Amino acid sequence: MAAHSDSGRTTEQIVSQFLSKALHAILAARIPYIHGPTPPPSRHPRKRDRWFHLALGDPPPALEHPSGLIPNGVMEPLVVDILLSPRDDPTMPEAIVERWVAQCEAPAPWSPLHSPAETSSNSFLVKRTYKKSIILLRSIYSVLRLLPAQRVFKMLCASNQSYNHDLTYRVSSFAEPFSRKEEAEFQYHCFAPVETQSGQLAVSVQYRPSLSQFNLEISSLLPPMLITDYVGSPAADPMRAFPSSPSERTGTRSSTSFPLRGSQHGQPSTSAPASAPVFFNRPHSWTGGPSEVPSNRAQHPNHPPTGSYRKPAFNFDEFKFSPPFYMSPTPSPPKFSGSYMQSPLRSETAPVSIPQSGSSKVKVLRSPNLSDPTRNFLPPPSPRSARTTDPSSQDSDSRSFRRPDGLRTSDGYSNMYGTPKGLKDGRDDSGRFSLSGSPRFTFSRSSSRISVPDDLDDPDFSYPFAVDDVDSSDSQARSNDGKEVSDFGHASSSHKSQDAAVGVLVHMLRTAAPLRDSTYSSQSSKSELQEEGLGSTSSFFMSRKASDALEELQSYKSIKEMLLSQSKGKLH
Amino acid sequence: MNCEVCELKELVVEQFEIREVLRCILHTIIFHRALGLVRPRDINCELFELTYVQCGVPEVEKEIEEKITEFISKISKHPNRRSHQVCLSFYETKDKQPAWFSSKTERVYWERWFINLQITNQRVNMKPNQTKVGFDPGEKLSSLEEKKLHRTALEASIRENLFQIIKFVNEKMDHLPHIPPNAEGISYPYEITILSSSESSLDMLKRMLQTGHQTTLS
Repeated sequence: MAAHSDSGRTTEQIVSQFLSKALHAILAARIPYIHGPTPPPSRHPRKRDRWFHLALGDPPPALEHPSGLIPNGVMEPLVVDILLSPRDDPTMPEAIVERWVAQCEAPAPWSPLHSPAETSSNSFLVKRTYKKSIILLRSIYSVLRLLPAQRVFKMLCASNQSYNHDLTYRVSSFAEPFSRKEEAEFQYHCFAPVETQSGQLAVSVQYRPSLSQFNLEISSLLPPMLITDYVGSPAADPMRAFPSSPSERTGTRSSTSFPLRGSQHGQPSTSAPASAPVFFNRPHSWTGGPSEVPSNRAQHPNHPPTGSYRKPAFNFDEFKFSPPFYMSPTPSPPKFSGSYMQSPLRSETAPVSIPQSGSSKVKVLRSPNLSDPTRNFLPPPSPRSARTTDPSSQDSDSRSFRRPDGLRTSDGYSNMYGTPKGLKDGRDDSGRFSLSGSPRFTFSRSSSRISVPDDLDDPDFSYPFAVDDVDSSDSQARSNDGKEVSDFGHASSSHKSQDAAVGVLVHMLRTAAPLRDSTYSSQSSKSELQEEGLGSTSSFFMSRKASDALEELQSYKSIKEMLLSQSKGKLH
Repeated sequence: MNCEVCELKELVVEQFEIREVLRCILHTIIFHRALGLVRPRDINCELFELTYVQCGVPEVEKEIEEKITEFISKISKHPNRRSHQVCLSFYETKDKQPAWFSSKTERVYWERWFINLQITNQRVNMKPNQTKVGFDPGEKLSSLEEKKLHRTALEASIRENLFQIIKFVNEKMDHLPHIPPNAEGISYPYEITILSSSESSLDMLKRMLQTGHQTTLS
């Protein structure tokens, strides 16, 4: 405590410092981020902190010159109004939620303090004044935490959301009296005055006991609206940019550009003259945002409060509105039936689809020559050959049946048209040929190249590309021998579904009776034939009619011709 | 020196609320009586919508926590007794005439605070950091509403007690001793005593004057 020989000056100094520190305590407890975005770090108490033994830290910029607050001396009252200002609605008036009044009232003429002659007890009085001022300041500090506005302050400080109100302040030396109606809304708390040589230091506060009428709530960044073009909607254009910020569209005044913090209103330190009274008819604001903001916000007093959208120097709206747009979630999962999703899926459709153009990269199951009218009669290439994208390789595939044993097209023909030898060699892999009734070609999945007309789409048919279809389809095909032969005769005129045609053909071939049962039987069950004797064999041939055999022969010949013609076409 | 006595309004608290309530009141009193240089700390109550101020002295916080724990353990041993009292006393040590079988110093109490608590639904809550007790999931909705009402009423009572403290400390200043120069934190020694329910504050004063043995915190 500063001890001076002049006790009067000391008292004035005490009062002045008290008012300054009280103002500091009030603003620190009511105005969010009065020190800026980050609070000043705690440090060793300075001389200023030692006043009244209460370390409050560095004062806010507006209070750097505390003497400027009380230009006419300590006898002028200090009036601090804490206001709740609506953020989104400039037409709504500000409301005073607290009014602090601190003043040193002149002593009464009959008061012993009034007499300057009593100097012996001045030092004692000063000490007592100082001690009581310490307690009074502590009480002010505590009461600030007990009043309803403290809750609002905590909400604005603690949350990273913006609210629809701001806490602002107004410092003056004159308190505009409340109306009777307003007076009734306030409660009054008066601290016990501290006697000083200059008078009684009295502090009082008028406060609203409830702030529920202000509907303090989190302000929404976007006005409620129905989003019709959400991602995944039929009307959505996946490449369309998001619309502009809603404030530009609605023309509403933006908030004080701090979506994450509540704003505070007060005089910027740069414009606080040392001797000018700190009395503002209209508070202006500074915020706790980036460093550029205060200088920008200082311009706000020149901006009339209009309903138009006002942008700071750097557009906080982008900061404010970009996160929702940037992180705009997909409201609904993308609909895979949408058009934009089809192209990537197109190449991954079922292997049975054969693209119309030869440029498709997918060669899982492709007919090598799609423009060939006889392509329907050719089975799709083997999976091994289908992996290649080279058209030349496709041609080679069309002519070759890739099989594990390396059987080529010519060999395939011979295999198809009953070259028993070739078949014999690859019988186990390719299947068997039959001359009885219907051409039954049974190929493995790696060698089938015979096309099947579209109208042979048998639902029970298993595609040649299926792995385990050979055995299962044989029993079904044997019962339909006649039908398959007649249908096959009309194969050249159908282009309905090549994959279905192929499948049907292969199925037919698989289920076809062997061309030469005797030969096959002799190869596989020669001993059985020998056991059964020639009689059984002859009976087998006799059961078949010659017409059936002729029909089969004719069908085989047509197939042969088709294959030859196709191969010739591809060679050219 | 006269001893100012402040009897705070009785608070009806549940077992798990004792710690938070005592913290709030004790720290508020000490903040107004620790007239040395302090760096105040705002503390938001966990159970109530209240903010109180601590003087920021770690030793004070530690002692208060220990005393609260002691208080809770004592009341748990007497579940049938509902009214309990905690006394916070400020004193100064004075030398006295040395005499046979007596100490050379004495404590002169110049201020006492009596915190009156009425405990309901006593549940054991021994841990210093445990301030909340989960509700029994089987409680009916009406009991929850009652608890909410109780919580609101208690919060208002605590607030009223705090204002009572502030009013008292502002009005009663003349009895305060001289502040030691360059005092840091606590300027006056104090002690916290737990009164048994059968012992009133007056009885305690008599006992202390007669015995001359003072319980100390450290």
